[in-house]
Amino acid sequence: MAGGQVEKRVKYKSSVKDPGTPGFLRIREGMLLFVPNDPKSDSKLKVLTQNIKSQKNTKEGSNKPPWLNLTNKLGKSHIFEFENYPDMHACRDFITKALAKCEEEPNKSAVSTSSEQLSIKELELRFKLLRENSELQRLHKQFVESKVLTEDEFWATRKKLLGKDSIRKSKQQVGLKSMMVSGIKPSTDGRTNRVTFNLTPEIIFQIFAEKPAVRQAFINYVPSKMTEKDFWTKYFRAEYLYSTKNTAVAAAEAAEDEELAVFLKPDEILARETRQKIRRVDPTLDMEADQGDDYTHLMDHGIQRDGTMDVVEPQNDQFKRSLLQDLNRHAAVVLEGRSIDVESEDTRIVAEALTRVKQVSKADGETTKDANLERLERMSRLAGMEDLQAPQNFPLAPLSIKDPRDYFESQQGNVLNVPRGAKGLKRNVHEAYGLLKESILEIRATGLSDPLIRPEVSFEVFSSLTRTISTAKNIIGKNPRESFLDRLPKSTKDEVLHHWTSIQELLRHFWSSYPITTTYLHTKVGKLKDAMSNTYSKLEVSFEILHLSDRISNWE
Amino acid sequence: MIFKIEDVTVYFPYDNIYPEQYEYMVELKRALDAKGHCLLEMPTGTGKTIALLSLITSYRLSRPDSPIKLVYCTRTVHEMEKTLGELKLLHDYQVRHLGTQAKILAIGLSSRKNLCVNTKVLAAENRDSVDAACRKRTASWVRALSTENPNVELCDYFENYEKAADNALLPPGVYTLEDLRAFGKNRGWCPYFLARHMVQFANVIVYSYQYLLDPKVAGIISKELQKESVVVFDEAHNIDNVCIEALSVSVRRVTLEGANRNLNKIRQEIDRFKATDAGRLRAEYNRLVEGLALRGDLSGSDQWLANPALPHDILKEAVPGNIRRAEHFVHVLRRLLQYLGVRLDTENVEKESPVSFVSSLNSQAGIEQKTLKFCYDRLQSLMLTLEITDTDEFLPIQTVCDFATLVGTYARGFSIIIEPYDERMPHIPDPILQLSCHDASLAIKPVFDRFQSVVITSGTLSPIDLYPRLLSFTPVVSRSFKMSMTRDCICPMVLTRGSDQLPVSTKFDMRSDPGVVRNYGKLLVEMVSIVPDGVVCFFVSYSYMDGIIATWNETGILKEIMQQKLVFIETQDVVETTLALDNYRRACDCGRGAVFFSVARGKVAEGIDFDRHYGRLVVMYGVPFQYTLSKILRARLEYLHDTFQIKEGDFLTFDALRQAAQCVGRVIRSKADYGMMIFADKRYSRHDKRSKLPGWILSHLRDAHLNLSTDMAIHIAREFLRKMAQPYDKAGTMGRKTLLTQEDLEKMAETGVQDMAY
Repeated sequence: MAGGQVEKRVKYKSSVKDPGTPGFLRIREGMLLFVPNDPKSDSKLKVLTQNIKSQKNTKEGSNKPPWLNLTNKLGKSHIFEFENYPDMHACRDFITKALAKCEEEPNKSAVSTSSEQLSIKELELRFKLLRENSELQRLHKQFVESKVLTEDEFWATRKKLLGKDSIRKSKQQVGLKSMMVSGIKPSTDGRTNRVTFNLTPEIIFQIFAEKPAVRQAFINYVPSKMTEKDFWTKYFRAEYLYSTKNTAVAAAEAAEDEELAVFLKPDEILARETRQKIRRVDPTLDMEADQGDDYTHLMDHGIQRDGTMDVVEPQNDQFKRSLLQDLNRHAAVVLEGRSIDVESEDTRIVAEALTRVKQVSKADGETTKDANLERLERMSRLAGMEDLQAPQNFPLAPLSIKDPRDYFESQQGNVLNVPRGAKGLKRNVHEAYGLLKESILEIRATGLSDPLIRPEVSFEVFSSLTRTISTAKNIIGKNPRESFLDRLPKSTKDEVLHHWTSIQELLRHFWSSYPITTTYLHTKVGKLKDAMSNTYSKLEVSFEILHLSDRISNWE
Repeated sequence: MIFKIEDVTVYFPYDNIYPEQYEYMVELKRALDAKGHCLLEMPTGTGKTIALLSLITSYRLSRPDSPIKLVYCTRTVHEMEKTLGELKLLHDYQVRHLGTQAKILAIGLSSRKNLCVNTKVLAAENRDSVDAACRKRTASWVRALSTENPNVELCDYFENYEKAADNALLPPGVYTLEDLRAFGKNRGWCPYFLARHMVQFANVIVYSYQYLLDPKVAGIISKELQKESVVVFDEAHNIDNVCIEALSVSVRRVTLEGANRNLNKIRQEIDRFKATDAGRLRAEYNRLVEGLALRGDLSGSDQWLANPALPHDILKEAVPGNIRRAEHFVHVLRRLLQYLGVRLDTENVEKESPVSFVSSLNSQAGIEQKTLKFCYDRLQSLMLTLEITDTDEFLPIQTVCDFATLVGTYARGFSIIIEPYDERMPHIPDPILQLSCHDASLAIKPVFDRFQSVVITSGTLSPIDLYPRLLSFTPVVSRSFKMSMTRDCICPMVLTRGSDQLPVSTKFDMRSDPGVVRNYGKLLVEMVSIVPDGVVCFFVSYSYMDGIIATWNETGILKEIMQQKLVFIETQDVVETTLALDNYRRACDCGRGAVFFSVARGKVAEGIDFDRHYGRLVVMYGVPFQYTLSKILRARLEYLHDTFQIKEGDFLTFDALRQAAQCVGRVIRSKADYGMMIFADKRYSRHDKRSKLPGWILSHLRDAHLNLSTDMAIHIAREFLRKMAQPYDKAGTMGRKTLLTQEDLEKMAETGVQDMAY
């Protein structure tokens, strides 16, 4: 058993019935190796310790030969037949220890085996995350490359990001702006009749999403038939024709120009989608069903011209499209959100991706009955009257805000405005601190009681903390949204914010190392402490440069 | 909860009940006991439907020897689905407490288009073509033909249904249209014919008004309902309009052209039959001589629309001799078409009574009144004889025959108006000859006569004494219920001035004033920034909405609105509107918030609820008056004045205000809900207009809210929303109970105090 390694003569069986291959079992801390006596045999085996899920063995004294059965995480089992029980026990103990170690210090064992254990997929995922998140990348660079933290320690605190579910969840769809595309106004040079449109990828995406016919036309025509520029020129020509509301001119131009006609005609793809969607609509608001039921709609039956019904000029002209339709369509697209995650400058890729997404969703709609079921369930839920029955508890949806800082900073304005001047809340920080101190003393004297801290005390402390923090942030800026940091030069502000995140990161690791049980953790804590004091001194330097030392005390 | 109202044990599916629901049930029970009709107004959002359903089903259970049938009429299919949804809930509850004896059969009934499961038939576009496609596969002669010719396509669902014959029954339960379709598909039976067959066995039938009020439909579907039925018209504030619509027909140029084409086709068919199967035509002639307009029993699949005249006005006589022969009938129709064509060629608006119209028709085209009266029956018989299945093609001639039958049957309560163009668009010639009914009591009279109890109920039936006059009946119970409020959860406001303190109104001379349009826009911009979730706006007409949105778009107001909320709009395309509504709801669900622009008197205003977060604010832009220059409206007003002494102005105001109340009244569904209503027009501040609003809105309209400008309204809205966000005691405070438990009800029964809520 010397040198953290055992070697025993065993027979390896892949199953209970297997007669077994004689050979050597070599167990090291990280893994388990079986070398058959017969070099030609193909039952050579290598198992990593952390892949072992459990082990079973036959009992001494039973009639069975000394077997050790190892189950790996995939559920496959390996059976080793030892020559005698002591051999087996030695091996078993060794593996137990190794397994325990694995579990105790997942970080550490991962370190030793990280190169082997990390699948390529996982590595890719890490790279991807780093690529997408520049802040993370900066932290990673700072700490991992300077050896303050190991690679695995760094990722250990971000398991959520690596988890499969969270990958999907964290990809919250980015919403679209509510502005209409028709809101983009061309710029003119003022002298000629020439107008220039400035198309951004976002605008193009919106046009494609709202007008599938344009998208299809783009795929068909560009670049085989015309250049992208020509395409958009034509598109805006068509839009211009719409805006003039002169259907005669539109019809004439469409007759001459086949491609232009595509933009002017009613959108067939859209019409098809509409027919699809109407079938899935909530039956309690399906007004289309009325049309099929209302017998007064029988031709010329009922009252035609009594002034209740409206007269609108006939709309059957195919080159006419109403603003109302556009508005509805636009709002529907915005509601749907950005359904593709292609961030490409290439218009064609965007167009194709959108088409694919639409096809997929169409197929979904036809095959799954879930939507239907869900709809019915919803209906029955809505049929009830809410305050006549016991309250229903609906699951909460997690609130996901892209940048929480924005949200909370905007809220601080409110916090600040409300309690100020309100009665009874005028206690200052010292009073709150005093209260907290008192209650801590009390706990020391009498031990923990229930509730841990009296509600009044905690309320005092929290409200004065919020106030102080917001005051510190806002006191200088007149505008409540403009925080203290905004007053600093941009580079300094970025630096401060960066230091703030890195300190947070370090603190997280620092506190997670407690209680310090191993020497490994001890050295880690030491490293972390050094890194933090480094950051602090850096901060001090930068503040001195700015001659803001008077505020540092405040900031502290 | 289970409680007793006098001798009836009521099963109510919730743990609590509103006091007004209890009151409502008490009144309803009195009406049922008296076997009479009743008129009940109760605010929306107080659970009318469930109160009504649970009382009537419980009443049925308490009288096992004389089970009553419930015929529940809704205005729209989606309301039908909603009602069936509530009934399902109730049924589950009753079965849970009473076991199988509480089981009932409840079905929703609609047209083929909404019930058909045959994919080939469904591929047809509208209702009429679905009907025709169905008839092509199910008509008795088509099926007879298929025994000889295997290539004739039939409908498997119908064949299976026929094969099962009397065994084709629905097990007890509550069936929405969706459920019926699923059941039919599962069993391979045609859901449409199954449902129609089950009408005579069902305990509860839910269908739309027309199935009972329109003689063309009622004659087929509802003729077998027994007298011991309770008929309920829900959301019945517009019932007078439905009644007069059911008996009105109009003829246009296209109708005449189509009818002429139909006659050509009929002529060809007659010739073809003469050559191949003359016996059939002779048989028809003989049948007509014997006085049978129709062959005795038609199989369900052969039936088309029934006689447009009301049952007791149809003469049980033989068809007059001059139209018994098919060719002669075609000649008569030709002359009729020609005469109508001449009358349409007018330059001026003409108004005539049916009597003078019939006499001039007699002198100029030689068609007698009695002949006219039999046009419908004769055509029906002819079409059956000729085995015509594509009924949708023959609608124009059907229309003309309906017109002839009606004009020949009714001498009073109708007028004929011929207009060369629409008043509002004089540049487009569109001549139309309209036979319009003015007397709403005509169509509903058979319903009152036939059924022992008819319940007319809605959230807005004010003034409640007007309806018995309009419909000429004597209710045994007529009551308007107030709403007992736990807190002031509705907040009506009258906005008379914009932010610049100038008056706002949709009065004809003011509506296109840019200042008014801007003020209306600014109001919405301000409101969307403070009101969470859904906001609904109603305009007085499509054209006005169109115009105002275009202007808002040009002036950038729309853009400001869109910064806060998504914008969805009702259009005249029903499919698009439905999708817009669906999206609107989803936008409210996900928290993005949205605005819905809609039109008073439109489809959305008629039946879509904007309760809870789907509508925290409703803005009613203007007073939704009818177009007062309309000739038909004038004629109706005259008739109302002469017969019922109802003043013109009063009726117009009543009509406009019931529409406005209907629009804003749909914001709350329960007392836990809350919503604001803004009446944005200076005319609402006048007492004569405002007082026509239903009492439950008026009682919340404070004097301080009667003359607001935009900034004041914003202030009030902010305060209101903040107040509504506070927790409150659901059961009511200060001795006013607004939510009763079973114990409360028992206590009430003991002490005999019933009005403790008010």
